[in-house]
Amino acid sequence: MSETSENEARRLAEDARDRVNFEEEALALADQVYRVARGVSRSKEEAEDLMQETYARAFRSWQSYTPGTNLRAWLLRILTNLNIDRGRRAQRAPDQQPLEETDYFLYNRLEQATGETEAERVLERLSQDHVAEALSAVPHDFRDVVVLVDIGDFSYADAAQILDIPIGTVMSRLHRGRRILKKELAEVAVET
Amino acid sequence: MTDDERCDWCEEVLQPFLDRNLTDAERQEAEEHLQKCKYCRKRYHFEEGLRLLMRQAEPMAPALKKRLSELRLEL
Repeated sequence: MSETSENEARRLAEDARDRVNFEEEALALADQVYRVARGVSRSKEEAEDLMQETYARAFRSWQSYTPGTNLRAWLLRILTNLNIDRGRRAQRAPDQQPLEETDYFLYNRLEQATGETEAERVLERLSQDHVAEALSAVPHDFRDVVVLVDIGDFSYADAAQILDIPIGTVMSRLHRGRRILKKELAEVAVET
Repeated sequence: MTDDERCDWCEEVLQPFLDRNLTDAERQEAEEHLQKCKYCRKRYHFEEGLRLLMRQAEPMAPALKKRLSELRLEL
């Protein structure tokens, strides 16, 4: 074998190894990515489709990922872009609903409704289904930020990078998004 | 301060506190307040529990995990 073809063979082998490493790391993060996918989707089926599209694209474009950077954020950037592209989000009118003034609103409402006075007891009034239903009622711009920070546990800076919006916008959408979520949670958990 | 006396003190800092987005001094001030104010402490525990609940979504189906793995490029 000539020196050139030996070099070429070595390069191909290194490439293949890097790619396999990338794929394994990406798959190891799938559970965490899925939690966000489920949070931004209206149904389990939609979340599963979104996961498959995200991973198909990630595997195709693995070379654009810089090793050593935040792979979870990189995957979620693909996911949120796909979610926008597919028009899954064109469902609700712009958010103009008036909001409760206080962040303690949900707790106070639940405490009143349950007659319980301990946080753990009050919390038992809420279920996973309530959360899923309430989240699906939050307008998408706000929901994406709430899901990334509250479910994905991303910093404001990471969420800003993933969604390609300024950090100040992350903070204002987070503030409003959480209030909307609480209003919806109060409706599904107390008023039904 | 009595147990259920209304207090708005940490309402503004509760979310950034849970987001770990306060300065060290602000964080310490919030922790000290939470220690002595039952009204805010209850609401803090509630908010913390709400986030845990949000993170406990049903896990991904094993069939989906398998389908994702099959999307890997062939060598």
